[in-house]
Amino acid sequence: MGLTAAAPIEAHAVTRALVVRAQNGDAEAFAELLADHYDMIHRTAWKWCGNRADAEDVAQDVCVKLGSALAGFDGRSAFSSWVYRITLNAVRDMQRAGRRRGKYADAYAEISPGEQAPEQEAAATSGQLWQAVRQLPEKQRDAVLLVYAEELSHAAAAEIMGIREATVSFHVHEARKTLRGLL
Amino acid sequence: MSNDMQHDPLNRLKGAGVPDPRAAAKQRALAAGMAAFEATRKKSSPATQGNHWGQRLTSIITSWKGKTIMDMRLPIGTAAVALLLLPLGYQLYSTTSMTPADTAKQQPAMVEAPPVEPAATAERAEAPVADMAVSAPAAPMTGGNTGIVTRQMSVGSPPAAAMAESDALYRPAPPPMPSPVMLPAEPGGDAFASFDEQRLKAVAEEPVSTFSIDVDTASYSYARRLLEDGYLPAPDAVRIEEMINYFPYDYPAAESAAVPFRPTMAVYPTPWNEKTQLLQIGIKGYVPPAGEDKPANLVFLIDTSGSMNEPDKLPLLKRAFGLLIGQLSANDTVSIVAYAGSAGVVLEPTAATDKASILAALDQLAAGGSTAGAEGITLAYRLAEQAKVADGTNRVILATDGDFNVGISDPDALEDFIRIKRDSGITLSVLGFGRGNLDDATMQALAQNGNGNASYISSFREAQKVLVEEMGGTLDMIAKDVKIQVEFNPAVVSEYRLIGYETRALNREDFNNDAVDAGDVGAGHTVTAIYEITPVGSGGELIDPLRYGTQAATGSGEEIAFLKMRYKLPESDVSQLIEQKVTADAVYGDIADVSDDMRFAAAVAAFGQKLRGSHYGTAMGWDAIEALARSGKGSDESGYRAEFIQLVRAASLLQPDTGSRCDAGASGEVCE
Repeated sequence: MGLTAAAPIEAHAVTRALVVRAQNGDAEAFAELLADHYDMIHRTAWKWCGNRADAEDVAQDVCVKLGSALAGFDGRSAFSSWVYRITLNAVRDMQRAGRRRGKYADAYAEISPGEQAPEQEAAATSGQLWQAVRQLPEKQRDAVLLVYAEELSHAAAAEIMGIREATVSFHVHEARKTLRGLL
Repeated sequence: MSNDMQHDPLNRLKGAGVPDPRAAAKQRALAAGMAAFEATRKKSSPATQGNHWGQRLTSIITSWKGKTIMDMRLPIGTAAVALLLLPLGYQLYSTTSMTPADTAKQQPAMVEAPPVEPAATAERAEAPVADMAVSAPAAPMTGGNTGIVTRQMSVGSPPAAAMAESDALYRPAPPPMPSPVMLPAEPGGDAFASFDEQRLKAVAEEPVSTFSIDVDTASYSYARRLLEDGYLPAPDAVRIEEMINYFPYDYPAAESAAVPFRPTMAVYPTPWNEKTQLLQIGIKGYVPPAGEDKPANLVFLIDTSGSMNEPDKLPLLKRAFGLLIGQLSANDTVSIVAYAGSAGVVLEPTAATDKASILAALDQLAAGGSTAGAEGITLAYRLAEQAKVADGTNRVILATDGDFNVGISDPDALEDFIRIKRDSGITLSVLGFGRGNLDDATMQALAQNGNGNASYISSFREAQKVLVEEMGGTLDMIAKDVKIQVEFNPAVVSEYRLIGYETRALNREDFNNDAVDAGDVGAGHTVTAIYEITPVGSGGELIDPLRYGTQAATGSGEEIAFLKMRYKLPESDVSQLIEQKVTADAVYGDIADVSDDMRFAAAVAAFGQKLRGSHYGTAMGWDAIEALARSGKGSDESGYRAEFIQLVRAASLLQPDTGSRCDAGASGEVCE
């Protein structure tokens, strides 16, 4: 059960309760929290990285970070936004630290969006689009993927990225300019 | 964002299929998350209780202990070494005058912390763990799973250290009253390939030892810089052969370029073990007569990334190359290519006599930005080919602080590229600058593939040594792929151990295989290798003899060992062989009888072993090492040996003899 930002109100309340319990040291609550969010983390990581190996690594990193940093979650933003933020940071860190993995990522990128090809119209152009979007500068990529791939509002994306709403729009605009040739 | 197109192409990103997570990966990740959660909970519960009346009393150890349990991917030793450094750094600070000049400028990075006593700092280090993980989750876990960490060991990386380096220049100078706890943390981010020490081997089982020579000296310069700043280098940063080979030794030189070496050998008692002996093999490369002036075609490939913007990086580099250019003559050419930051050709191939334009071009270089200078390395090689000289040196000299973003991002592809270019006659040397970002492993790998050398330039003085005094050795290769093979006579020697050369070991069969690459020797380079050997019947054996299947030692007792060296002349692909017996003539009964050079080399070996926390020879006290080095100091015209003696003293203060090196993290306790 993935919990997205568009999840119903009760889900929010459940999550909040779990967070509080986990912050008080309840391991069971934390386990439930992780299990609830893992799919979302993995999915996000997959979209950002474009291949299984990296997505799994990132997802595991995020789980570890959640475990160690949960106490510092202050509840000012939605828990899912916070998880997004940690995931995006983990993706960024991994990509910065592991430029050497670039070659694998490229190799996977050839296949990855295509894996779903039969279900998708114009899979080839879509694959190119994904590849191009993943190669955008970090901010632009994050903004585009949050808004279009995760289908969040600009406001939600702004909260996750820790920037103003107008800035999100600006990044999307810039990304559009960069991608002009492809679109 | 107004977009009234009906078919916004970005909408295609919606609802993209993402494969479901694999159950195994999910389970693993959840387990890891739980472990982290548990570890944090255990760690934090006492801390929160203590909060009310002062965390000052909580130990820094508990939180760090937690971290090693929580995240096994952190090299465990790192934390312990960092713990060791604070108190010892303080001790050094207060007892010697070796205060590093740049300490002052690095302090303001921690300016938010009022100068308080150590306990309070410990508290600071502990408190924000949770926050930090949110705002900068990168800090301790960067690249956790990427596989890089397993290959390289990064030296303690407190996030503050990295910031300290870059922020330092932009803050006002601090009052000159340094609080000891504000010493910069051990330089983080410098990466070294990890390696195991050479094993002790029984002659009966493995009578033959093979290795490639190594004329690099980067390890010594790096260790010296750290010691001078009051830190012990990480064990993996200590490559003993590079320390020994840093110093010039006065071995008899060969007579002609055709046979460019003559080995010098001696066997003398081991200073740290009275039951064993050292077999020292020294060679000195042929020095062409001064009149011979081979043309050189040099291309400087210079890193101008933002991180080079520190006094000991780009500005030092400029002065260093200024020195080198002063050494060149009319038939040499120089070109300059910059990468990262301001990228592109800075200077087309120019005759070295046109010093004004070369220096002007150097001066223009400015560090800044982080733009990938995409084709830095290909550009450099293209210029080198453009100005290629027959029968001379064609070399690219890469100067960097660790940013190898030269346009080919895959390290293996980069090495291949360099290897192919090497075979076409263009070699590569690497000069490392600064610290905090230094990628030693890549430096070594590139230089080895490029048949050049890797040097670490820590100061103007070092630049002078590498680029002026040893320029012949640096630029004029007299032999390549030099391999050494020693066969020990089991009738005389029962056990042996090669000191250093861990990263240069070769297989026995590689010796005769000309396709296997090995180290190169420049004009006048000296190379020294030392074996610790245990004579038969000395009682110093550590390996028990076999109960079954032992064969009686054959061979007469006259020869101790047999040395074989293979090398290729620079223009040849077929190796030549030099053979020499080690007989009783080479044996000295007392270490006082051997030459100064030999005694000094033995002292450097002992120093390296001790610094590295070796299994052997660490019982020898710093005092004894210092005395031995002093006795081997000789005339020491360049002053390097005197400097070494100072380093021994510094190390003895940092790691006093009474307590052995802190047993890395095993106990997690602070070592005094």
